[in-house]
Amino acid sequence: MVETREQKERGSIKIFIQVRDLHKDFKLGKEDINILKGINLDIEQGEMVALLGPSGSGKSTFLNVLGGLVPPTSGDIMIRDYHISEMLENELCLFRREHLGFIFQSYNLISTMTAMENVALALTFAGVKKEIRKKRAIEALEVVGLVDRMGHKPSELSGGQQQRVSIARALVNHPEIILADEPTGNLDSKTSADIMEMIYRLNREENQTFVIVTHDPDTTKYCTKVIHMQDGLIESEVNQ
Amino acid sequence: MKFRTILTIIGVVIGTSSIIVMVSIGNGAQKSITDELSGIGSVTTLQVYQDLSSMGMTSMGSGKTEDKPILNDDAIKDMKKIDGVVAVTPVVNLSGGEIEVDREQYGVSLMGVDYGVLEDMRYETTSGKKPGANDENSVILGKDILTSLTYTGASTQLTESEVKPEDLIGQNISMTIKRTNANGEEEIKTQKLKVTGVLESTGGNEDYSVIANYNLVTELNEWQTGKKANVKKQGYTQALVTVEDSTVVNAVTTEVEAMEFTVFSMQQILDSMGSVFQMLQILLGGIGGVALLVACIGIVNTMTMSIYERTKEIGIMKVIGASISDIRNMFIAESTMIGLIGGLVGIVISLVLSVLINLIAGFFIGGEGGVTISFITPGLVIFALVFSALVGLLSGVRPAIKAANLSSLDAIRSE
Ligand SMILES: Nc1ncnc2c1ncn2[C@@H]1O[C@H](COP(=O)(O)OP(=O)(O)OP(=O)(O)O)[C@@H](O)[C@H]1O
Ligand SMILES: [Mg+2]
Repeated sequence: MVETREQKERGSIKIFIQVRDLHKDFKLGKEDINILKGINLDIEQGEMVALLGPSGSGKSTFLNVLGGLVPPTSGDIMIRDYHISEMLENELCLFRREHLGFIFQSYNLISTMTAMENVALALTFAGVKKEIRKKRAIEALEVVGLVDRMGHKPSELSGGQQQRVSIARALVNHPEIILADEPTGNLDSKTSADIMEMIYRLNREENQTFVIVTHDPDTTKYCTKVIHMQDGLIESEVNQ
Repeated sequence: MKFRTILTIIGVVIGTSSIIVMVSIGNGAQKSITDELSGIGSVTTLQVYQDLSSMGMTSMGSGKTEDKPILNDDAIKDMKKIDGVVAVTPVVNLSGGEIEVDREQYGVSLMGVDYGVLEDMRYETTSGKKPGANDENSVILGKDILTSLTYTGASTQLTESEVKPEDLIGQNISMTIKRTNANGEEEIKTQKLKVTGVLESTGGNEDYSVIANYNLVTELNEWQTGKKANVKKQGYTQALVTVEDSTVVNAVTTEVEAMEFTVFSMQQILDSMGSVFQMLQILLGGIGGVALLVACIGIVNTMTMSIYERTKEIGIMKVIGASISDIRNMFIAESTMIGLIGGLVGIVISLVLSVLINLIAGFFIGGEGGVTISFITPGLVIFALVFSALVGLLSGVRPAIKAANLSSLDAIRSE
């Protein structure tokens, strides 16, 4: 892969996610602190991108801006033909519902709901009928190998199992993009490897695009692109 | 369900049931008094009297009575022409009659009405039948006619005779009346009366009277006073106007009053009482309303707490694609359910309370057929249900909007 950025923009290869001069400031008292200081990035469909960097470098902030959870201060984000940086909150909700899946370090499951209900919840808002919701939730749990635990509450599951439920939830809508913020951060190395294998498999089989924030250099071996962030900027971008 | 939610629902239950019970007591008071009054003379019967002031003028002997109308046959004819009037009859009374039944003497008074229109009047017989237009000597007995008050020392006692008025149907009874003639001697006249039926209770004078033919009573009156009745000049003291139904009562009243007669109808009393009861209901309902207002604050509090508690959940939902309206509707639905469930339980409780109140009141007040202190109408039930759901909904709006506008990321980070 030796195409230049210009070649990509001419359309020989489809750019799926395009980030241009992205800035994000946070107000701290009266002061504005710059967290993202002008990020430029292109990601193609089906890529698996690892985002590395020291703590506080702005990885999570970048991912959240990318997913429309936080508005950027300036700059442009295009996903497919959607102008994320210019969408209103309600449009972003609809966009997330149809195109995006999130995986968090802390799983973020709803504690009062069973595994199956947690997975099906994502479909509720998409207006999918109840029977179909259940069927698709079970399918998604099958993919992550947790069908036998679908009636369990999060508190009755191990960390790895909870993370697999949250992956099933991210998958159930068949989104084109999955954003994962340290998905293996709370897991031991064996479980981390299992989870990464699974993500890799999904990436291959479903051609889903992944952006994964990680501290673990081991996980980068599954990725097509490894990005190092430093102090709010991309320090290096390696395609492999 | 959370304990807190149950407490909130109990608040709504108390609010709703106090509104229902309060208003039902207003309703009940109105109903029992209305029923009572409707019993006293049919609501569709108007009592017409010669204008009292005109009578005053004649007695003053000014001789000029033409300017005041007289309640005579012409006036009765005119009243018959009013729209909605079914029957008009003059009323003549005769008191001091005595009848003997089973060797007991009973004092009676006669109420003479026009038998020609008796069929159209609201006098119904419980047994037997009404006399025909030409039955000169036939009478209907009031139901309490054989009940006499006896005074024994200080206490008054109501004694009922062994014989019931019904037993006399078909029989001839003889009534005697007395008069003192010019020589100061007492004369007695005996009149045979044929009983054809017993009158359904009206709650009024009729219960203690014998309804007789107008012609007969006039005749007896003339014998007793020794004077010919001069209806044309002096008029009747009273006439009864029967109207189609209660809706035309007020219109007919206005027209008869325009003829310068004094009209008395149950409707007038009911109308004036209606506004009093409306005030009473607003007042009682208001007391219940305060209870519901407190419940309303409870719902707002519960919803706000629930949103604090579920902030993370809301954040998760927004991240996985819930829209602002999804979240808002979710919380509004929840608070509406609190209102609705509270309303339903409140209705059940107030129906039970209503029965209990009536039972207990019946126990203390007595009276046959139960007492209506609290009366719940279907309209009141529907109103309470809609109102409690509405209270739930409105209480939920503000917290729900607050929940929907939470930033998804901040929410998801909260613990
Ligand atoms: N809502 C916020 N308000 C103010 N400052 C913030 C906010 N969110 C993040 N920051 C700041 O932005 C900087 C980058 O945070 P971010 O979470 O993106 O780092 P990170 O690279 O993900 O770090 P880690 O590897 O520890 O997760 C931090 O210094 C943090 O304090
Ligand atoms: Mg982070």
